[in-house]
Amino acid sequence: MPAIQIESFRKSYGDVTAVGDLSLSVAEGELFGLLGPNGAGKTTTMETLTGQLVPDSGEISVLGVDPVAHPTRVRERVGILPEKESPPSFMTPREYFEFVGAVRGLASETVDERIERWADRLGFAAKLDTMATDLSRGQQQKVMIAGAFLHEPALVFIDEPLANLDPIVQERVKRFLRDYRDAGNTVVLTTHDVDVAAELCSRVGVVYEGGLVADVRPADLPAEETLLDVFLDRVDATVDGVAGDA
Amino acid sequence: MPDGRTRRVFVAMLREEWRLHGRLFRGSHFALFPVFVAVVTAGAAGGVVGTGTAPETVYAGLHALAVVFGLHTGSIGFVGRDAIDDLLGDLTLLVFSARTLPLSQPRLLGVFVVKDLVYYALLFLLPISLGTATAIAAVGEFPGVASLAGTTALLWATLTCAFVLGMGATLAGLGLAGRGLPGRAVFGAVLAAGAAAWATGVDIAAYTPYGVFLAPTGPRIAGTAVAVAAVSLVGAATFDPTARRPARTVGPTFRRWRRRLGDPVATKTLLDVHRSSGGFAKVLFSAGVLLGVTVGLTDLAGRITGVAPSAGISLGAMLGLSGFTTYNWLTQSDDVDAYRALPLSVAALFAGKLRAFLLLGPAVGLAVYAPAVVWRGGPVGEAIAGAALLVGVACYIFGTTVYLTGFSPNEFLFDTALFAVFGLAMVVPLVPVLVVGFALAPVSPALLAAIGLGSVVLGLIGVALYRRAVPKWTRRYRQD
Repeated sequence: MPAIQIESFRKSYGDVTAVGDLSLSVAEGELFGLLGPNGAGKTTTMETLTGQLVPDSGEISVLGVDPVAHPTRVRERVGILPEKESPPSFMTPREYFEFVGAVRGLASETVDERIERWADRLGFAAKLDTMATDLSRGQQQKVMIAGAFLHEPALVFIDEPLANLDPIVQERVKRFLRDYRDAGNTVVLTTHDVDVAAELCSRVGVVYEGGLVADVRPADLPAEETLLDVFLDRVDATVDGVAGDA
Repeated sequence: MPDGRTRRVFVAMLREEWRLHGRLFRGSHFALFPVFVAVVTAGAAGGVVGTGTAPETVYAGLHALAVVFGLHTGSIGFVGRDAIDDLLGDLTLLVFSARTLPLSQPRLLGVFVVKDLVYYALLFLLPISLGTATAIAAVGEFPGVASLAGTTALLWATLTCAFVLGMGATLAGLGLAGRGLPGRAVFGAVLAAGAAAWATGVDIAAYTPYGVFLAPTGPRIAGTAVAVAAVSLVGAATFDPTARRPARTVGPTFRRWRRRLGDPVATKTLLDVHRSSGGFAKVLFSAGVLLGVTVGLTDLAGRITGVAPSAGISLGAMLGLSGFTTYNWLTQSDDVDAYRALPLSVAALFAGKLRAFLLLGPAVGLAVYAPAVVWRGGPVGEAIAGAALLVGVACYIFGTTVYLTGFSPNEFLFDTALFAVFGLAMVVPLVPVLVVGFALAPVSPALLAAIGLGSVVLGLIGVALYRRAVPKWTRRYRQD
């Protein structure tokens, strides 16, 4: 059974079509990248897969659960790193993890042990008791990453996970994501960064104007072709501007 | 700032304010707000004066409202930056841009304050003045167009001064508080001097914008101008909107509080209130403002009509309105998006907010009500009925607010249609109760029993509205 199965998914906001007709399948154990320019429908897709939005039409299954009918059940089983959210302003990272642990029904001892592990991994141990509103963007991002993985889910949705992180921490996160996938878990990474997708993902779906325009395995691309070439070709753009603008 | 930059910054800030409101409260609805304000204030003032309340009472209430409005405007712009960030995401107002642009910070702050003054004086205070003065003139003997225009202009001017006083007080308070112990000592000394003057019988009200409105004599105008200017200058001199605060480190509290409260969302919500600017004191302050307005109005009404209003009923009804401000504080620091990564249904989020409200709302209202009703005196039966009324009104207003606005109780303040519905929902139960409290004291046992029963019914309606709100907002939050 695939981790994610999408058939003919459509979603509009008023007159604006965010996702036109998307069909996609992600197997268990994949590190799948959803790559596309701004406004391509990546975040809408992720929010629908995690039950935050209701699609206009289509069939969706996440770990065998319908997120439209059972949004909370899906979110119990997956981890989510939203692009724009930051930890609650008036909680410390430690308290935020305790809050996440309480909501997810984790034992206090488990939470405490994982807090220490994540603080060491991403280097925010000295900030564990600082109010989140006083943390830098990078520190807030580290806390959000740790929060998404706190319950060690079999499937994680991460939206632009490397934003605001320094190069050292970026490398640590990349290594962690590969290890996580190698342990048999599934990771869906949403990004507009072609290099990140090419480096990390075992498979990449390119979305453009609400539809899937390419589905490639970067490792299988011929030597003379890069993921950037595929991306620019399929989204009808050049590095000088969108072709239609000329 | 040379070469017209001040003017350009002023225009840009006006546009920024308009867009902020447009984003927060949907632009087209907000555009109708001044018209709506004029119509509602005219209707309310005409109705209240037409049923026997003295016009002076209405004018006093309006000036108190303008001061409170000024206090809140100042605090939303500066103290509430965290809350606005949480509501709208990353937000950088032009007033905070002195670090990145070649603009003087004091001048920017000055332009910001003037912008707020012009914006709110035109969009809110002018319609209020026009509506009130016209309605009161229409109810009594029409004084003629020239006199009506004069009254409207004077009211607008004094309401604007009251608004400036409120804004200046916020900035001065924040500025002095930020100067450590000496600043706080100065702030405390000013408050103590005011309290002492009031206690020794000095007619402080004469040297306020309201006093000027009642009798615009030279000494009153001069005294008021000095007071408003002094407060504003202290604010301008001491307040620094770009001051960095040190990173706050706190001991772990969540787990300890959760053990007592049970619900993680309720625990987080109360932590938010506790740790955001003002702490739990801001909830008490909001109720205290309502208390001050009620006491002022009942005093004035008593002096004018010769009949002392029922302290229990009037305070209970008015302090029940603190349910709205309390819910506002409970939702200031988060929105539904903040929980979307977690396996929490919208129903669970509302349940957490309800628990937090039940812990904080009635308790704060009663904490203010109990000493106030002892201070004002009156029959025990009225005090008990007032307490029941407070709890009933608070639950009713909570349910109504949740039903109409979900997690954004501020939204309807500038959305004309929502505001009209909310206003109607408040007026229908509260006006009869306030008429009883203001005009029929001492209240008969039969009326007290009816008020007690009505309080229970109001509370139940609040619960019913809350229950209906949950599926409504669950659907809506998943649509966009």
